[in-house]
Amino acid sequence: MIRKYVKKILLGLFVVLIVIQFFPVEYNRSEEATPSDISTALQVPADVQTIFTTSCYDCHSNNTKYPWYSKIQPGSWFMANHIAEGKEELNFNEFGNYSKRRQKSKLKSIASQIKDDEMPLFSYTLIHRNASLSEAQKQKVLNWVKNLLENY
Amino acid sequence: MKKSIYLLAVLAITFTACKNETKSTSEASHSKEMVKEESGHDHGNHDHGDMKEDGMMSEKREITETNQKNDATTPIIDAYLKIKNALVNDDKSGATSGATDLLKAFSDFDMTKLSKEQHTEYMDILENAQEQAEHIVKSPIDHQREHFDVLTEDINDIISLLGTEKTLYLQFCPMYNNNKGGKWLSEVKEIKNPYFGSKMLTCGSIKKQIN
Repeated sequence: MIRKYVKKILLGLFVVLIVIQFFPVEYNRSEEATPSDISTALQVPADVQTIFTTSCYDCHSNNTKYPWYSKIQPGSWFMANHIAEGKEELNFNEFGNYSKRRQKSKLKSIASQIKDDEMPLFSYTLIHRNASLSEAQKQKVLNWVKNLLENY
Repeated sequence: MKKSIYLLAVLAITFTACKNETKSTSEASHSKEMVKEESGHDHGNHDHGDMKEDGMMSEKREITETNQKNDATTPIIDAYLKIKNALVNDDKSGATSGATDLLKAFSDFDMTKLSKEQHTEYMDILENAQEQAEHIVKSPIDHQREHFDVLTEDINDIISLLGTEKTLYLQFCPMYNNNKGGKWLSEVKEIKNPYFGSKMLTCGSIKKQIN
């Protein structure tokens, strides 16, 4: 009797899993050039830019490198949500379009988030091992921001 | 039953595969920002090539200071001071409530009385200040203080731009943020430090008196 229920529930879950595959999300991909990218707006040293590209751009730019599991629901909903939030907060591809005032506060926030290990998100680095930042990498970004802000 | 599940699966895969189209989200926001930049009055050098040579940060923003007595800015300043006083008392939820007041003060502010130049400048400040206030609403206290630091500059610029009827003191503690220092506006002369709260309540000095 109980086995019958378990079977039904599992089957039900399976069907739900399949049905939600019919509701894919729109992927965060753009083939447009990014004339307002931070690398154009500011002088970003190559090593700092590599850190941004590897550890930040998946959620903070108009182009995400999607891993295979992100193509399966509900994984892609979860990711789409993160990306939408991330881009609203800071979009490296749009950095040049921000006002000076905003660029300055964004740089401050970048530094403080990295300093406090709040970014990149733990749930992200858990899967993207190469996105997690070493102390040396963190210091590189922090120094770069510090020097920029001193000249403001 | 089994057959129909297989069918569903195949259909699902086909559908997801078809959805891999690219998307251009940036276009609309681009042109909007462009218009805004063109109408800005104090940016001579917004060409990106030039910006890179000059270094973005070298261009100082100039706001001609006004001594005008203006009570229109009072709700904004009061909400700011509420955040400040909450941070002095290490009171996170007080700061949240002050930031909520500030967002309301911004949305209630009557912009129709501003001149064209004031309006452009105000909108620029507003965009940033609102963002700081939103973060103060939802952040833990150390982040509230970081955003308060940025917010202080915005509020100070609003006062320089539009004036206030209040007597305020711009105060400064050189120790905040790894000795980079932090400023704040206060309604009283006496130093009560919002960045350290009870840990270092009296660090700081008066930099400037407004009115």
